[in-house]
Amino acid sequence: MLSFLVHRIGGMILTMLAVSVMVFAIMELPPGDYAERYMFRKASGSGIAITEADIQNVRVKFGLDRPAPERYFNWITNIVTDFDFGQAFAYETTVNKVIGDRLWLTLAILYSTLILTYILAIPIAIYAAVRRHSLPDYSLTVFSYLGLALPNFLLALIMLYISVTIFDTSVGGLFSEEYVGQPWSWGKFTDLLAHLIVPAIVLAWSATALQLQTVRSTMLDELNKLSVTAARARGVPEKRLLLKYPARLAINPVISTIGFDVNRIFSELPIVALVLSLPELGELLIKSYLDLDMNVAGAILLMLTFFIVVMNFVSDLLLALVDPRIKLQGG
Amino acid sequence: MMMTAETILSFENLDVSFKTDEGMIKVLDGVSFKLEKGRTLGLVGESGSGKSVSTRCAVQLNARNIRIGAGSRIVLTEQDGTQTDVLSLKPNSRKIRDIRGGEIGMIFQEPMASFSPVYTIGNQMVEAIRLHRDASKKQARELAIEMLRKVGISSPEQRIDQYPGELSGGMRQRAMIALALSTNPNVLIADEPTTALDVTIQAQVLDLMRSLQQELEMSIIFITHDLGVVSQVAHDIAVMYLGKVVEYGSTKEVLKNPQHPYTQGLLKALPNVDHLEDRLSPVGGDIPSPLERPTGCPFHTRCPQAISGLCASSMPAPTQLTDKHEVSCHLLTQQEAAS
Amino acid sequence: MSTSEMTNETRKQQDAVKYYTASQWQLIWWRFRRHKAAMVGAIVLLTMIITGVFAEFFAPYGPTTRDSKQVYSAPQIPQFWDHNGFSLRPFVHGVTTKRDPVTLRLIAKPDPETRIYLEFFAHTGEDYDFFGLFKSDLRLFALDDPKAKIHLFGTDDLGRDVFSRVLYASRTSLSVGFIGVMLSFVLALVIGGIAGYYGGWTDYTIQRGTEIIRVIPIIPLYMGISAAFPPEWTNIQVYFAMTIIFGFLGWPTLARRIRGHLLSQRHEDYVLAAELSGASPYRVISKHMLPSFTSYIIVDLVISFPYIILSETALSFIGLGLRPPSVSWGILLQEGQNVRAIEQAPWLFIPAAFVVVAVLAFTILGDGLRDAADPYQVADK
Repeated sequence: MLSFLVHRIGGMILTMLAVSVMVFAIMELPPGDYAERYMFRKASGSGIAITEADIQNVRVKFGLDRPAPERYFNWITNIVTDFDFGQAFAYETTVNKVIGDRLWLTLAILYSTLILTYILAIPIAIYAAVRRHSLPDYSLTVFSYLGLALPNFLLALIMLYISVTIFDTSVGGLFSEEYVGQPWSWGKFTDLLAHLIVPAIVLAWSATALQLQTVRSTMLDELNKLSVTAARARGVPEKRLLLKYPARLAINPVISTIGFDVNRIFSELPIVALVLSLPELGELLIKSYLDLDMNVAGAILLMLTFFIVVMNFVSDLLLALVDPRIKLQGG
Repeated sequence: MMMTAETILSFENLDVSFKTDEGMIKVLDGVSFKLEKGRTLGLVGESGSGKSVSTRCAVQLNARNIRIGAGSRIVLTEQDGTQTDVLSLKPNSRKIRDIRGGEIGMIFQEPMASFSPVYTIGNQMVEAIRLHRDASKKQARELAIEMLRKVGISSPEQRIDQYPGELSGGMRQRAMIALALSTNPNVLIADEPTTALDVTIQAQVLDLMRSLQQELEMSIIFITHDLGVVSQVAHDIAVMYLGKVVEYGSTKEVLKNPQHPYTQGLLKALPNVDHLEDRLSPVGGDIPSPLERPTGCPFHTRCPQAISGLCASSMPAPTQLTDKHEVSCHLLTQQEAAS
Repeated sequence: MSTSEMTNETRKQQDAVKYYTASQWQLIWWRFRRHKAAMVGAIVLLTMIITGVFAEFFAPYGPTTRDSKQVYSAPQIPQFWDHNGFSLRPFVHGVTTKRDPVTLRLIAKPDPETRIYLEFFAHTGEDYDFFGLFKSDLRLFALDDPKAKIHLFGTDDLGRDVFSRVLYASRTSLSVGFIGVMLSFVLALVIGGIAGYYGGWTDYTIQRGTEIIRVIPIIPLYMGISAAFPPEWTNIQVYFAMTIIFGFLGWPTLARRIRGHLLSQRHEDYVLAAELSGASPYRVISKHMLPSFTSYIIVDLVISFPYIILSETALSFIGLGLRPPSVSWGILLQEGQNVRAIEQAPWLFIPAAFVVVAVLAFTILGDGLRDAADPYQVADK
């Protein structure tokens, strides 16, 4: 167990290091550098002419005149030691301030999506597999095709359209107007929960479709196992039998793909967030890309990936917890 | 002195088909045989002959697309003496669940696959015991340990908390037997219990089953395709071919004096220590697909002694040779008619 | 035996001979034909591809041709009858445009009294240049009144014909998908091939590298790359840069499959035999090992289409993919990005149906092909 933890945590650190190099490369990719963008943005409002010397000053101020490896080293050291992601030029403040509450709101969306996906997908898929070739089973197949074909952001648009034209309200945003910018309170918290429903449904759409198929086919496999027949031959009542034997194992692939689900949700989140105007990391990511505010974008990419890596680890632990066949070993 | 044995499980005129996309597939055609109290019946035949399907009918364990003929009956004499037609019970009713495990226990070919890998041996045994016997969790655990000891598992107090994956193959088969017997069934259906085992372990398990039978006075149906195994454990034999019992009788009678060409063929295919120089002669041809069931006697397509014009068109009726020896073959009906 | 029985018997035998001597591809085709849904999927896709490739012919107007008189005009459906009676030739009603006195916007209103008939294989006078091969103005259909225009799916804010734009967009989106899939195939073949053939530490390094790429959420990563495209790039440059990005999207899964197969076949005797007779690794892989699972590769390629199409739609939708005046499904949907626009002109959402139908068709076709290509599958319906 200890060797497993050491091995896995070591692996996570290495992965994150490699990821950070890639993220840094993405940050360096756009033409021009931070100093130019910073100065041009400053000058565009005021009409003051900027000289190459001004830009050079900014470069020196932020250490941008140093070679890339050194800049990478400074960047990653600040993040690791001080949780400091640098400056966000488009907002003229620090990246941390720009991100603010968005980090927690992103996690709130992520977890509500995951919970919704699992409480929908697991029981429905198990039921459909047991009642194979029934109407619910066929509807599940149709739904999972549709769930994979209709992209989340289009679903978000459709839901917005319906809410605007039929109910005359908008389902966008994460807070009602009276709570925006207000300090946290119980009222604000319940308001947030109510606003999480629509993003969770939209994001759970395709994740559910995928998990429905996985759980259903695993359940079908498990139902045909000899161990189920053997338990039935011992007189175990049908309901208890289904839950104790095949259903228990049909959940395994769900647990083992938690990291994959998180990755998928984060992949789809930015565009959905843009459509539904959700004040979280994905929406900010798109804005920063469009502004070429790469310090913010890099910070967000790094954070999202970090959660995926952590959730992969959690998924391994959970799997070992529910399945005695899996031994936690290093290597 | 020959005692008229008491029948504990009797299969009467069992007709079974499966409903598939290709239409109805007939798998059992008027199968009848009896299991006598305290004896072992060897059910012999190639794969696809309907051995497993017929025994699984006795506990209603077949797939949902099964269709059983109206005239079929499987009569079970329960421990309290009442007689029940198992086929008349509602699926998954209380009664059939009591019979499963409580009256009829089953063990299977794959010991690994018949345990769930994610629960301990003890968990699955205690569950079964408490379903059929009035026992507290603690008592059930005691009973389970005792049963594990009985089947020859060393230090059962520790083994009981292990997962099936942690036991060796022979150990698992022993545990499987313990699991099936822990609920005190009168009848044990053993579906090729030794096929997946090494020869030495196979012998141990057969030994174990024999001694347990004597100790617990059980009746056993032993399904196998191996006549060698059957001759070691069975008192009686029913030979099945393509959903029909072609020959039935005491092991001695059937092996010494086989009357059906199929039984004769099977015996010729066995290696014989006394005649090692002889070549083995397998039964020629392949078992036909159940989709294309032959008309008449199902064996006529492979029978070396088929009577042309007769065997392909009509099904032979069973001929009673002795009290217990019954054969369904036109060769015998012809002889009878001639004499 | 009677003659009819005879012919029946011989036909049966011929069928059997045909079955046993059929090539693998024939067997796959026979099995595939039985899969109704997949056949429908294939036909839908073929229609999309053909109308996309020959968009110049099938679309009544160019993708950027404006009809300033009809801005945000509703879809017109050709009719065969109205209150004035029945007509064998389909027609649409004429449109009169008026300026709204309050908003000062032009509003198109159908006039039920005038009929304008459809003309098929019409010379419209608007020339197009078909891939630089020839110039023509022949189109599948147009209105016989050259001053009137037909908008099957309505028009957008600039008065461009949504139907024509969707056809051109299908061409772009499907071609991005096609090139993207081919690129990922080549990448997968090279990388998966090297990993699977050499195994050992080469394999290990490639595996770890792939894992790291796979852990970063893919769309945000590619948004970052496309954000870096210089603004001065032409549409063609952006188009090819995007296809390269999408090519990178699909390869890890495919590479894993190829690697797995190669690893499992690595120690088969026929591979050893080929190596002993001096075949190069390239030859061993391409001539001996890959053909045994070509059908699986094709299935994998077909089912990776939807991912690329959806990604293109998503990236172009938020303005980080292809750029106007290119037309793709994502770009068309961009116009319907805000709810107010859709509220005003719901037909701007029609391209979404094309995305959904295309993805559905690819998925169902892929499923059908997989069932047909798998020789070991149990008939399990």
